[in-house]
Amino acid sequence: MDKVWAVVRREFIERVRSKWFLISTVLGPVFMIVVTVLPAVLAGSGGGGRHIGLLDEGSGTLADRLVTQLETGNQFRVDRLSASESGAAAAMTELTERVQTKAIDGFLVVTGATLESGKLEYRGQNVSSIRDMALLQAAARQAVMMERLTQRGVDPGVVQESQAHISVSTLRISKRGTTGETGEATFFLAYIIGFVMYMAIFLYSVNVMRSVLEEKQTRIIEVLVSSLRPFQLLLGKVIGVGGVGLLQMGVWGVAAAALIRYRLAVFAAFKVPAQAAAAIQLPAIAGGMVALVLAYFLLGYLLYSAMFAVVGAIVSSDSEAQQAQMPVVMLLIPGILVFPAVLNDPSGPLSHVMGLVPFWSPIIMPIRFAASDVPPAELAASLAILAATVVGVVWVAARIYRVGILMYGKRPGIAELVRWARQS
Amino acid sequence: MISDPIIQIDGITKRFGEFVAVSNLSLSVPRGAVYGLLGPNGAGKTTTIRMLMDIILPDEGTVRLFGDARGGREHSAEIGYLPEERGLYPKMRVKEVLVFLALTKGVKRDVAQRKADEWLERLELSAWGAKRVQDLSKGMQQKVQFIATMLHEPALLILDEPFSGLDPINTQTIKDVIVHLSRAGATIIFSTHQMDVAERICDHVCIIAHGRKVLDGGLAEVKRVHGGTHVAVAFDDGGDAAMPIIGDRALVAKADDYGGYAELALADGVEPQQLLERLVGSGARLRRFEHIEPSLNRIFLDKVGAADAESARGVARG
Repeated sequence: MDKVWAVVRREFIERVRSKWFLISTVLGPVFMIVVTVLPAVLAGSGGGGRHIGLLDEGSGTLADRLVTQLETGNQFRVDRLSASESGAAAAMTELTERVQTKAIDGFLVVTGATLESGKLEYRGQNVSSIRDMALLQAAARQAVMMERLTQRGVDPGVVQESQAHISVSTLRISKRGTTGETGEATFFLAYIIGFVMYMAIFLYSVNVMRSVLEEKQTRIIEVLVSSLRPFQLLLGKVIGVGGVGLLQMGVWGVAAAALIRYRLAVFAAFKVPAQAAAAIQLPAIAGGMVALVLAYFLLGYLLYSAMFAVVGAIVSSDSEAQQAQMPVVMLLIPGILVFPAVLNDPSGPLSHVMGLVPFWSPIIMPIRFAASDVPPAELAASLAILAATVVGVVWVAARIYRVGILMYGKRPGIAELVRWARQS
Repeated sequence: MISDPIIQIDGITKRFGEFVAVSNLSLSVPRGAVYGLLGPNGAGKTTTIRMLMDIILPDEGTVRLFGDARGGREHSAEIGYLPEERGLYPKMRVKEVLVFLALTKGVKRDVAQRKADEWLERLELSAWGAKRVQDLSKGMQQKVQFIATMLHEPALLILDEPFSGLDPINTQTIKDVIVHLSRAGATIIFSTHQMDVAERICDHVCIIAHGRKVLDGGLAEVKRVHGGTHVAVAFDDGGDAAMPIIGDRALVAKADDYGGYAELALADGVEPQQLLERLVGSGARLRRFEHIEPSLNRIFLDKVGAADAESARGVARG
């Protein structure tokens, strides 16, 4: 056991001391702050105050309504210009020039036919802005609808009332009752957790592969296996690298908790207006979630590091490793390809199946757990299948590893790997 | 029990697919010996050593170390193993590598650190202890590797081609260390195909070829048993005048000719005196004429040559 510990210690210390570890550990929290603060900063400062023209070619009261709609909410400032049919061309030229000199962002054309046809025209330099166009469309739709209703004799009071602000706010209901989390916060949390699981499992498993390959390439492996059993060496390696992963996730976890707790101070530091800061939803992370993430990270990491260790053991160079790791990478990829589908319907059939398959469950189950309620029986089944697979894969991997680390030259085929795994 | 062999190999065989790397090999290494495992490339030396170290398992036969069958790994605290292919972690610091490798052999950390300092000092590498392995010259890295092998002061050193790739200065340093450890009571087994080195340091040898033992025993014994009459001759002028005499099969059975120097095995019944008279008569300018024991190189060439011929016959029969 002392020998295994020596390997654990070496793998851990060598990695923690590296620049790579330092940079990625620091960049994690920086990234978290950026994704939290940036939207708030943008929401606080961006948009608003578009200056546009409105060319009214005899549309009557529709133009009045449009101006009112556009100017509510301070999203647009409108210069109104009325023109007869004959003067329309000249007015249009004048407005176009104003756009070109950047006096205004663009202009809207409303004609007498607009009310009937529902067709308006907007010309401007900001037509590619999805946000601006969505606001324009909404304002135009509202104005036309109200004008039509009014002309059909609907009570102006009713029309006014119908326009009152409508919004659907979303609150997640879990077994524990309605949570304080909004849909957005849930989505955000689930997405981040899924992504972190994928990255952590992938990066640290690949690290195990590199470590195996390094010992093979430098030929130190032969000295090592003269004093350690190959399994002891592999075990120490996997624990050491995994420990680095846990340390890094721990640092990130503490940073995330601190960010959630002290978010107002953080926002203040970045001069985010209090109003915008309040609009940013940050998820609450429960203890059960932490335990689940840890369990799935450890099991997922064990599974993939065993497979990547095999890749490291059967190749002799980095370029060979690039090729040989493809099947393992391909096995992991579906886990992230289904991200959107699982987030969309965390209790759907796809989510159920993917949550049970051990190669994907370490990514899918934490997402599902964050975004919905997972029945305990299903969670237990998923973990049990994963754990059983880990035992099987590690057993086979250790046997191939034992033979592979002393083999150089041609990479073995599948038949040969099977033979290695079988021989005593 | 001093007489107990430290290594006892009985009838080991190792096959890789169709290829038989080692065939029914038996040998024993007495405690305190400097034992040379000699053979041409591909003879099975490395395979034999790997089986000693429990890195690969023999298909047949048994290996006993220190009187038991637990294998080299279980005895790693008492064994210093230097594989043929060497390497260290390039990014680790020299002293840390040494301490780490000692820990994997079961040495305590404080002891490992102290010994690492002592050995670095002894091989004049103290200034490099905190440097990364990759910053050292190749020669220095080889010395570090030797320190890693010997740091825990093992009772048994197993060295696979310890002198290959060393420059003359490092060869001398390592030879000195081996002799020092031997005097201190360690048993040393090493493989080589450099007969001159083996002849100077070994007291026991085993020659293998094609995975089979050709001969083994104490060096003096091996030389005595080999028999024949051997003469070393050297000429001042290249010895052109002596060539017809050396080439006379009635007089000289085998000649190992280096130009100005030659080792000759005389034909049966020929006395050195007869050869000397002929050489003087030929007018060749003799610088040296000495009745010698057969060199290990001569024995090796005779025996391995014979084994090759036998193996070739075996192939022809098969």
